[in-house]
Parts: sequence; structure tokens; C-alpha cells
Amino acid sequence: MEHTETIFGRIEPDITQRLVTRREAILKGAAVGSTIAAGLAMASAPIALAALSREAFGQSAPLSVQAVLNFALMLEIFENEFYKAVLGISAVSAQNAAFAPVRATVPATALPAIMQIQKHETEHVAFLTANGAVNTLNLDGTSFDFTGARGAGNGPFAQATTDLNFLLLTAQGAEDTGVRAYKGQAPALQVNPPVLEAALRIHSVEARHASKIRRLRRMTGASGVKYSGTITGGGITAAGAANVANPPQGALDALTLIYAGEDNLIQGGVDVTTLPNQASGVNPNAATEAFDEPLTAAQVVAIVQPFFIPSLS
Amino acid sequence: MSDSSKTFVVSSTGQLWKASTRRSFLKLLGVGGTIVLAPGLFEACDGYTATAPGGGGGGGSASLDLSNDTGILNYAYALEQLEAAFYTAVVGSATFALLNAEQQEVMTDLRNHEVIHREFLKAALGGSAIGALALNPTAVAATLTSAAVILKNAEAFEDLGVSAYNGAGKYLTDSGHLTLAGKIVSVEARHAAAIRDIRDALGVTGGTAVGTRFAGDDVVASTGANAGLDVKLEPSSVLSRVASTGLVTTSLSIGKPPTGTATPDAGPPSPTP
Repeated sequence: MEHTETIFGRIEPDITQRLVTRREAILKGAAVGSTIAAGLAMASAPIALAALSREAFGQSAPLSVQAVLNFALMLEIFENEFYKAVLGISAVSAQNAAFAPVRATVPATALPAIMQIQKHETEHVAFLTANGAVNTLNLDGTSFDFTGARGAGNGPFAQATTDLNFLLLTAQGAEDTGVRAYKGQAPALQVNPPVLEAALRIHSVEARHASKIRRLRRMTGASGVKYSGTITGGGITAAGAANVANPPQGALDALTLIYAGEDNLIQGGVDVTTLPNQASGVNPNAATEAFDEPLTAAQVVAIVQPFFIPSLS
Repeated sequence: MSDSSKTFVVSSTGQLWKASTRRSFLKLLGVGGTIVLAPGLFEACDGYTATAPGGGGGGGSASLDLSNDTGILNYAYALEQLEAAFYTAVVGSATFALLNAEQQEVMTDLRNHEVIHREFLKAALGGSAIGALALNPTAVAATLTSAAVILKNAEAFEDLGVSAYNGAGKYLTDSGHLTLAGKIVSVEARHAAAIRDIRDALGVTGGTAVGTRFAGDDVVASTGANAGLDVKLEPSSVLSRVASTGLVTTSLSIGKPPTGTATPDAGPPSPTP
């Protein structure tokens, strides 16, 4: 039985323990997308492992530390490739070309911020990889359809390639999803304190990113977004999408998933709007802003799947 | 619930002369309880010379038992008390009117959020909560003298909060407590980014490239094995920084260290540019 040794010590070999056979993988319901079918036909071990790790993201039991690392890496690669495409520095010229129209409209003053964010995403990919995360789906710049159509290129986020307001709204959604994803996995990492701490330290960086994007949006006309970078309310309201012209229903649906439950007022069994010493009139908004809410791995997969060409579950 | 969550409060100096009090002290020290000397305990003492920061007596002390979740949450509660007190003072200050509309909105939001955090942790801790921290009014006033000074102090507080939660999370044992801490720390990080972004636009670029201060290289490591990771500080380092502000006259100390392995500190710049 193989184990993966990293600087964090032995990581639970959740994936590698299980026997991988073509028939078993299919019986477990691995999606028979073209990439996966080809992989299974070749009995290629990495692809078959990928099938099992995809399954792992959707399960209801806590993920193993290895699965969380892989999950986080998947999301960081997604964010990194998104920002690379926006900046025109992706290894995939088609991705760069797709975002050329909106790239021309990004104010020069905002460029350092977007570059700093992309730099961090690259660093997160490198950190997770150096610390045992496995890119089980072999994701690269070609793995994504940033319009949200699994590869068709005509999805509900297509306007992000042409309209600055839509682009920033999309970036906001990506960052806020990242924050919620890491937050949801913290309990699963408690068994490995150094990994937990690293995850917390990446999680707070994503929150800084999210705050900056919200501030950029408020400065460019999104009046429903706070200068404090915090999230008011939940669901579609929390997206603050009013400054985007004619958003497709698919985009509104995605944003509704991204911000589902963000208006939660019950913390540790306490309705926080009933706490003493609140200034008059600030709640429930302040109460929803004061706490960010987690998402489960399955919820995150449901949100990001449209942007990934390979199947995540 | 273990004895280590019990708090023995000394509210009158007369108690200190009683044998039963000495027994209680020793018993609690043995099992890691918390001994709280109520603020203002020594005010009536003739000839007492305070050693707490700020001088002049009063303030009392609080010893934190960080070997259990209650102590860690009290540590967080202490920090939220300090933040809430600062932002409450900001919003009530004469300087507040000198802030522009964006800055006023942000300061008001941060006041609202930190007060909620403070009240939430107080409610969650119930009878195990430490008392209200006593502050030095002169030191507090010194944090409010101009918009620039307010913003500098806000940046310091928010980055310190992120550092504290990021460094203490690994010591929490209950997953529910960890989730709650997680819900709060990302909001502190949003706050930190907002304050830093405001200062960036005002020309504060110490340690950061223009336009990047919200998540600048001075707080998000840009080199080494931990590149891309945000600040973190061990509780002892955080409390050292708090003590050096001179703002809190209640003496905060660690009665029992955390259970678990400390990691190398990676704190925000001190002093804050």
C-alpha cells in the first residue's frame, strides 16, 4: 500500500487504497464523458484515479485531507486560469483571445490588483502541489469554458469576455465561492493542524481578493455592494448585480447558488440580531455581513461544474 | 465540562486575605482555570502601584487558559472587545466628520460588525466569558487624532485579527467552534483589505506596490515556501502586540499555553507604516 509523504507527514491514502478497475469505476457511476471513457478504455491509472477522486468530492461524509487538498487545487487552478485568460497570459491563446475585448476596458488603476490576485492564485497552486495536492483531473488552461457551458463556449457568463461590469461580477463570484469552499472544508482538516493552518491562511487571502473586487465594483457603479467588501444578505441579492445589464437567467441562477445561505442569522444557535448593544437600524444587514458562510464540497461542485469541461462528479 | 472552564472572580480585595481564596487560587491554577481580577479591583488600595500598561492603577488582569476551546474563544473575545471599542470610539469621535463618505461607511460597517462579533462571543461564552476589558482613555484618544491616524490603527487592528484567528484556529478542538472562527476571520480579512485599499489610494505604500495593498506583499508572503499565504501569529505574539499599544489597562496574560504545536510567526508589519 502506498502512502504519500509530505512535510505534513503521512496523508490518509483515501484514493490509492481503493482498487481501481474499469468495471468498478463504471459501476460506481463515473461519468462517461469523452475524456474519461478514453481514459478508461486505455486503463490509464491517472484517469481512473481521477474518476474516484471526482466521486469523492460529492460524498456526504467529510473528505479526507488528501481529497481536500485535491479539491482546493482544482479550485485554485480554475481561478488561476481564469485570471490568466483575463490578463492575456494564459498558455492557451484561445482563452486569451476570448477575453481580449474586456481586457481592453480594464482601467489601468485596477490592473495591479488583478495581477496581484493572479499572482496569489499561481502561488496557491504551487503551495498546494508542493504539499501533496494532486491534480487528479490533469487540469490546465484547456480544461475550462469560462462562459459556463462545459466547452460549448456560449454559456451564461459569455458577457464576462466583453463587459467590464460582468467580468468583475464573475470574478466576485469566483472569489466568494473560494472563500466559502475553504471555510466548508476546515473541519475536515482538523486532523492535520499544519494543513489546517495553511488552508486558513489561503482562505483569508481569498477573502481579501473578494473584498477588493467588491470595492472595485462599488467604485464602478455597483451601488448594492459595500465599500467594506463584506456580503450583505444572501442569494441573488448578495451578488449586488444591479449594475449588470441584462444578465442571462443562467448567470442569476449561478449567483443564487454562490450566495445561498449567506443571509444566515443563526450563529451557534443564537439569532445574532437579538444580541445587545446593536446600533438602531443596522440589522439584519450588519448581522449578515458580520459572518461569511461555508459551502459543502457538493455545493461548490454544483457551482463550478459548468466552467469545467471534465466532469467533477 | 472540565474544571479548566471555571472562572474564579476576585471582586473585593478583602477576598485576597482569606485562606479559602488562596485554596481556590491554587486549585484552579492546578487544573487550568481562569482567575479574573475584576477591573477596578485595586483602585481602592492605598499605595498600590499598578504595573499594567498605561499606569495609574485600575484595569485588573485576566489570565487566559488556551489549552481548551473556552480559553481560545475568550482570547478571540478579548480581541473583538478591543476592535469594537476602537471603532465605537471612531464613529463617536470629532474626527469622524472629517472622513469622506466612503471612509465613514466603512468605519460604521466595521463598528457594526465588530460589535456583533463581540456580543456574539460574549453570549456564546456565557458564564465563562472574561470581563470587560478596561481601556486607557488617553491612549484611545491618541488613535483618533486624524483620518490618517484612524486608518493606520484600523489597518493594524484588522491585520492583527486575521493573524490571531489564523494562528489560533489549529488549537480549537470542536469543529463547530472552528467553523464559527472561520466565519469571522474571512470578514476580518475583508475589513483588512478594505482599509488597506483606502490607505493605498491615499498614497500609503510602505511595503506594498501601488494598487496591491489590499493583499500586499507585506501581509501575503511573496517569497519562500509559504508564498501566497496570509499572516498568522501565535497567541503570545498577538497579546504582546496588544500590550505594546498601551490601549488596554487590563493585563491580559496566558495562564496556560495552547495544546498543540506552535508554527513560525508570519505577522503584519510592526509598527504599521
